Amino acid sequence: MKEIAGIVAEPRMEDEQRSYPEKLDFRMLGRMLRYTRPHKKRFLLLLGITILRSMQLPALAWAIGAVINGPIAGGDTPGLVRGILGFLALAVFTEFVMHFRSRLSMQLGEAVMFDLRNEMFSHLQTLTMGYYHRTRIGRIISRITSDLEAMRQGIQSVLFVSVVQGGQMLFSGLIMLYYDWLLFLIMMGMAPFIWLINREFRKRLTKANRAMQESFSRVTATLAESVGGIRITQSYVRQEVNAGFFRNLVFDHSKYSMSGARATSIFMPLLELNGQFFLSLLLLVGGMRVMGTGPAMELGDLILFFFLANLFFDPIRNLANQFASAINALAGAERVFELLDTKPDWQDPDDAVNPGELRGKVDFQNVTFSYIPGTPVLKEVNFIAEPGQSIALVGHTGSGKSSIINLVTKFYQPDSGSILLDGIDLRQIQSTALHRQMGLVQQQNFLFAGTVMDNIRMGKTGATDADVIEACRSLDSLDLIEELPDGFQTQVGERGTSLSLGQRQVICFARAMIASPRILILDEATSNIDTITEARTQAALNKLLKGRTSFIVAHRLSTIIHADLVLVLENGLIVERGNHTSLLQANGVYAGLYRRFAKATTA
Amino acid sequence: MGQHSSVKSDDDHSAAQKGAQTGALLKRLFQLSWRYRWNCILVLILQVCILAFALGGLGFVGVGIDYLRQQFDAEVVVRGPFGVHPPVDWEPRDGMLLIALGVLLVALIRAGLQFFYTNSFAKLVQGRIVVDLRSQVYDKMQRLSFRFFDANESSSIINRVTGDVQSVRLFVDGVLMQSVILLLSVAVFLIYMFSIHVGLTLACLVPMPLIWFLSASLSKRVAPAYLRTRQLVDRLITRIVENVQGMPVVKGFALEQEQIRQYREDSKALRDHQESIFWIVSVYSPLITFSSQLSIVILLAYGGHLVIAGEIPLGTGLVVFAGLLQQFAGQVANIATIADSMQQSLAAARRVFEVLDAPIEIESPAQPLPAKKLHGEIAFENVSFSFKQNDSVLEDVSFHLQPGDSVAIVGATGSGKSALLNLIPRFYDPDKGRVLIDGNDIRQLDLDVLRRGIGLVFQESFIFRASVAANIAFGHPNATQAQIEKAARIASAHEFVTKLRNGYQTRLGEGGADLSGGQRQRIALARAILLEPAILILDDPTAAIDPETENEILTAMDAAMEGRTTFVVAHRLSTLRRANHIIVLEHGRIVERGTHEELMKMDGHYRSAAMHQMADKESRRLLEQYDGGAS
Repeated sequence: MKEIAGIVAEPRMEDEQRSYPEKLDFRMLGRMLRYTRPHKKRFLLLLGITILRSMQLPALAWAIGAVINGPIAGGDTPGLVRGILGFLALAVFTEFVMHFRSRLSMQLGEAVMFDLRNEMFSHLQTLTMGYYHRTRIGRIISRITSDLEAMRQGIQSVLFVSVVQGGQMLFSGLIMLYYDWLLFLIMMGMAPFIWLINREFRKRLTKANRAMQESFSRVTATLAESVGGIRITQSYVRQEVNAGFFRNLVFDHSKYSMSGARATSIFMPLLELNGQFFLSLLLLVGGMRVMGTGPAMELGDLILFFFLANLFFDPIRNLANQFASAINALAGAERVFELLDTKPDWQDPDDAVNPGELRGKVDFQNVTFSYIPGTPVLKEVNFIAEPGQSIALVGHTGSGKSSIINLVTKFYQPDSGSILLDGIDLRQIQSTALHRQMGLVQQQNFLFAGTVMDNIRMGKTGATDADVIEACRSLDSLDLIEELPDGFQTQVGERGTSLSLGQRQVICFARAMIASPRILILDEATSNIDTITEARTQAALNKLLKGRTSFIVAHRLSTIIHADLVLVLENGLIVERGNHTSLLQANGVYAGLYRRFAKATTA
Repeated sequence: MGQHSSVKSDDDHSAAQKGAQTGALLKRLFQLSWRYRWNCILVLILQVCILAFALGGLGFVGVGIDYLRQQFDAEVVVRGPFGVHPPVDWEPRDGMLLIALGVLLVALIRAGLQFFYTNSFAKLVQGRIVVDLRSQVYDKMQRLSFRFFDANESSSIINRVTGDVQSVRLFVDGVLMQSVILLLSVAVFLIYMFSIHVGLTLACLVPMPLIWFLSASLSKRVAPAYLRTRQLVDRLITRIVENVQGMPVVKGFALEQEQIRQYREDSKALRDHQESIFWIVSVYSPLITFSSQLSIVILLAYGGHLVIAGEIPLGTGLVVFAGLLQQFAGQVANIATIADSMQQSLAAARRVFEVLDAPIEIESPAQPLPAKKLHGEIAFENVSFSFKQNDSVLEDVSFHLQPGDSVAIVGATGSGKSALLNLIPRFYDPDKGRVLIDGNDIRQLDLDVLRRGIGLVFQESFIFRASVAANIAFGHPNATQAQIEKAARIASAHEFVTKLRNGYQTRLGEGGADLSGGQRQRIALARAILLEPAILILDDPTAAIDPETENEILTAMDAAMEGRTTFVVAHRLSTLRRANHIIVLEHGRIVERGTHEELMKMDGHYRSAAMHQMADKESRRLLEQYDGGAS
């Protein structure tokens, strides 16, 4: 991906090390649950419903057992009918509650997601360019997608599922205790084993999964590279070598998948075996007692235990899963909140002013600036741009051209010194008010998904179609846009029609034009534009520049020659200033650059 | 457009044809599965054994209950599964112990079987099918011609090797094997249940169609709704990506509030849509559970009646039946899952087979001319070419170059410059006319020999995640360090490479982010030079480089061009002037040709474009003032 805004390269933050916390962080949990507060009624209703539901499931199982035990074993037909009607009523009621349980929880989750994703997006708009320069876009996206999804699970299911499962365990346990304490104790004795087996299993599986994911991301990264570099691969006849590499990676990945399966293959049968072990104990101990050995027990109670035992065992595994997703949700929440807690590098002061209609005088006074503290990219820069002047910035990559632009646009703040706009310190001017009177054309000519019309209209909120067309006409570029397949209604952006560089640039010119800015910023394309199109867009550019204070990172000779002031930068210092003629006469750095250029171009 | 037309025209096909296509697809999927038949059979056998032992375990519990009842009521008959039950003359205590041990033994064997099953299954699916398919698709993908890559987004291609392959293998385990298991287990359950009581079985099965109908209807309604969710989510993500990538524009035009408004609108659309899904799901899922509870009600009513009437025993009859019914309902619900998997794997299979079947448009001839080192004489003879039919990109292009010549190609975007270059290494074949190298039609040459004889540098060079040395030796992985350094020196890359942290062993990041544009291009040049190609193709190599830094690479280009037939696409005069021929293209035709000097004398495109970049007289006069006689 290209650098944003043509800023000089700066080391980016290392990709975050994904941390895998093992414990619940209650502060984080509290903060996460606070987002349910606006939906308190729904939350409390849901909590009530889940408690009710946790009683219903054991009740259903009990009812089956009771019907078999009582009327069926006793041969009581009217009792059987009553029992069945009772069971039916209970089942209807249970599923009726289930409807609310499932709908309310999903709605709660989505409501919180809605609030959070909007809050995150709004927050992103307040962050300064420095943040976007430091942060990979993929990280921001995964905050709003996968991390939020993890939180959704935490909010809509973990708490409520735990309540249902825990309640189910409790109530089925109580019923069993009521019927027979001895068998209940035996069952309780099994519980820790299940817990331990499950914990061990989870640990191994997580480890295997992690290794699997990592090997898979190696597979996809290699794949992406192979697709992206296919032209190189084919032209350098590398297919065989690449295929060998890839096969190894895929093989590696499958090895990790299989080791995950091995963990499952050991532990799942073990867990089930545990349940079966209890069943045979139940038969043995219960059976003996039914037959008169040990404390007496009724056959019916024994049958009831068959139905209730699963209700007690299953939640143990389930709760462990819930714990894992809780941890996962909290890890997501931590990253989400980290983004929400990121403070903008600076903010407009409360008493910032709206300067009204600008004249466009820009005055740099001893401006020093750095992206990384300690390595200044601009040092004590001084210059004045009078209203309506065009300033060309010339210099090697990294000389500080783009930094000057980043300061004029107030995307960054200087470390020391000040920039005065019509005599007011830029720090004291409201950013939005400033930007409304500013036009920006970037090197990469960024277009948003939408029509050409929409894209141009972005320059001025509320601009009519006629305004847009007028802006293009005043640039003498109407025909270039009308040439497009659907004219102004042509879809552009990532999935839209591919435009030529000249067309893209003209659209960006029009976007700046319609804003009728007092200050124009132009980061010229290097030589991405072909010479024939260049001649075409040059005319439009001249119209756009007319009468506005403009700052141009200049690559085209024609722009430089016509600039009122050329600033030649080297290592953050202005080494020469003047117009084209005076600089040539000075026979310094600029003349040297130009001489090389002239030598290359003259016959 | 070869393979793509068949996909695009899918919509036009009649339903019958589509059916036939699905049939053909199924046939191929069966063939694929057949390749793994022994493993599949092993897994199936294990699964059937597990099923049998599960039933056995359940049966033993039933026997236990009836055995107990028998102690109180001599009339109760104990009928174990397959006639297994404790001998009548045993002590009840020993009988009970035997039954309990039976339950445990069955469970142990089942656990063992499950262990083998899970491992054999993973070995079959992840260890063999997926590995084979991925390697095959990748292998094929690498050999496909550029048209395929033009027509498909890279994310879609990547998906075919990752996600789609998994979905295709889903046919083997999720559809084929699951169906067999389903059929077998339903049959076994039914036989078992019928053996207990025919009437009760039929009665309990009454709600089954209802369950099946409800699950099918749920997935039918929910599937398109989920698709819509995905689209809405994608739209939100696009908004975020655009917002972040275009942040300078957003901030520069004070568009923050507008962006927030649009985002909220989309976000709300997503929420509202989700609500509708929540309603569907929260109505259907309790209905489905309730239907399965209806079976229990019938079982209790009718089965209870039968027990009371003494027609079936309580344990092996009613209790076992309840257990069977639960598992049976699970299997019925599985039908919907299998149907879903089927849809998923068919769709994926279409995409995967599209790659595997795609004709390799450009291949070496069956009997290539004997391999010789290329000299670099190149001729285009009346070459016409189009990416799409009736939309010609090159028309009737002819020229002839001697070994060592260099030619610059000039033209506006879309005038056919890149197309012309792409024909030389046979990335595409011309529609009409011939391209000759050393007097031979390049279609008669061995493709690998041809391409190895051509060095290529693109506008933006692809740098692989590997060391500098590996990147330079990309076309010749066995190159020695000396060869690599030699190439790097010619490309003026040696100096900056040795200044990198680990010199030639420095690993370059994704896309080579650590290097500047000029450095990347010099690595790419070294990569081309290492092969010592007779022909060098430079497709606008200075495009992404600041004019101030351009010098770095111009020298390198001069050195690289030495003694090679060179094609260079360029816009800057500084680059153009390095060629001894210039061809100006317009709408795919050569409109001007000659040397720089000749073209400057003509009043054509070249001259007007060149004038734009030339220093004007006044400036030159000023410069010459100081130059004196020095130059």
